[in-house]
Amino acid sequence: MKKIFLTLLAIGFLMSCGSKEPKPIKLNADPCDFCKMTISNSKFAAQLITQKGRHYKFDDIACMIQFAKSNTVVPYEAFFVNDYLKDNSFIPVEKSFLLRGGTINSPMRGNCAAFATMGKQQEYQNQLHAEAITWKEVYNSY
Amino acid sequence: MKNLLLTICALFFSIANAKTIAVGTQFPCKKIKQALLLAVDGDTILVYKGTYKEGNILISKKVVFLGKDFPTLDGQQKHEVVSISADSVIVKGFRIINSGHASLDDPCGIKVYDCTFVKIENNILNNNFFGIYLQNCRNCLVKNNKITAYGKQEQLIGNGIHCWKSDNLQIIANKISGHRDGIYFEFVTQSVIWRNVSNKNIRYGLHFMFSNDDAYITNVFKNNGAGVAVMFTKNVKMYNNYFEENWGDSAYGLLLKEIADSYIFNNKFARNTSGIYMEGTSRIKVEKNVFESNGWGMKIQASCMDNEIVNNNYMKNTFDISTNGSLVLNTFNANYWDKYEGYDLDKNDLGDVPYHPLSLFAILTENTPSAMLLYRSFMITLLDKSEKVLPSITPDNFIDKTPLMKSLPL
Repeated sequence: MKKIFLTLLAIGFLMSCGSKEPKPIKLNADPCDFCKMTISNSKFAAQLITQKGRHYKFDDIACMIQFAKSNTVVPYEAFFVNDYLKDNSFIPVEKSFLLRGGTINSPMRGNCAAFATMGKQQEYQNQLHAEAITWKEVYNSY
Repeated sequence: MKNLLLTICALFFSIANAKTIAVGTQFPCKKIKQALLLAVDGDTILVYKGTYKEGNILISKKVVFLGKDFPTLDGQQKHEVVSISADSVIVKGFRIINSGHASLDDPCGIKVYDCTFVKIENNILNNNFFGIYLQNCRNCLVKNNKITAYGKQEQLIGNGIHCWKSDNLQIIANKISGHRDGIYFEFVTQSVIWRNVSNKNIRYGLHFMFSNDDAYITNVFKNNGAGVAVMFTKNVKMYNNYFEENWGDSAYGLLLKEIADSYIFNNKFARNTSGIYMEGTSRIKVEKNVFESNGWGMKIQASCMDNEIVNNNYMKNTFDISTNGSLVLNTFNANYWDKYEGYDLDKNDLGDVPYHPLSLFAILTENTPSAMLLYRSFMITLLDKSEKVLPSITPDNFIDKTPLMKSLPL
């Protein structure tokens, strides 16, 4: 019994180190890991998690992609982007619906807004005069 | 000839015709919007003391808009207070408060849309989302305004003076505090920022992005969340500024990132976590500056090249210089280092042995920040001394060949 408990405990410990969930951003305190600017608008924030469980925070999708491309050594686990309509709420980038251009003004000129549903993406597409774009297209444009 | 005479006559006629419309409780014209409807190009609108809650005031005519004894324009936290869409408008002597907050269209105290020769002088702006916002403007002047907001961490707030896609601007003698960035330049060229005081802003005192050929002279940046940032630009001149008391892990007196061909002259960097932080910086001359009582005087990342660091005073810093690589592409010449322990036998006021500004411990803490715990321990001092004699970890060509024996009178 004691052994099982200990094993479970050990597994628990191992699981908890290096979470694969995005961490919340401390606004006006956390710096962007690529451009060094303090993150002051979480609408455009992005986050990258490595396979070892290290979190990198960015103020703009452009910073995340440039950071990812500049580093070929560390393998990545997941990319996240923040929901344009909700502060500090990260969506896995494959599940996000992106808009680019128009009147979207992001801190480092990535000018991408991410939405959790296709409905919201379409709703804001007209309002922001932006065009729908996929993550792959954004990634390849840098 | 006849045409010219006619034009001159017309000119006099129009000057004589310009009228002044007074606004106030004691006058027939009680509302500002009413006066704006009556006014034609060239008129003056004189607003007397009082509080005016008229929603958004749009000035779309070439008028002089004057406040007497600082009348208050209140946006009631719902509206953009003053919008200007005509050339050569002058706004002077108002107290502008409570613009709308945090909505997607960035409401401002005063916003100028696509104009030339607008002057915004002697106003008091209080508790606005953005203070003064110049969008696509040329030849405008922003002078003597006092801009205050009450931004907190973890809260979205706009910039004090925000300039976007403009040129030939003059930002003179403003006092800004409590905004996100005190002064923010994006795609602004050929402009000057002179004699401003930008304190206690949430993020940067001054922030440059993609703005070439500008100068900022004799400003004070004190106690801002992260100091001053000059990024992705070239040809910026920085003279006679004070960068003081910017404390924090990611705070820098001056953050330089992706910048080239600039000149940093006669500034004072005092009591910052890092005086200057450089990354991707090239062909910059840093001359006659004072670095005093900082944690790090300068952090030069390995991505910097061809920078010249000449005739500066480094005094009372924990570390004078720190870097993260072994490649040395920058030159240090004739600086004063208070940690220099050499001698000057030929009495030419230059030390006879080169100075290594990079200490072993600076390199250690750059790689493992927690090693800071061991600072000033006996072993570290010993290692530092031996490293000075026989450089092993620090690059041996990272030197100032002609260190000054006496500090420069700066």
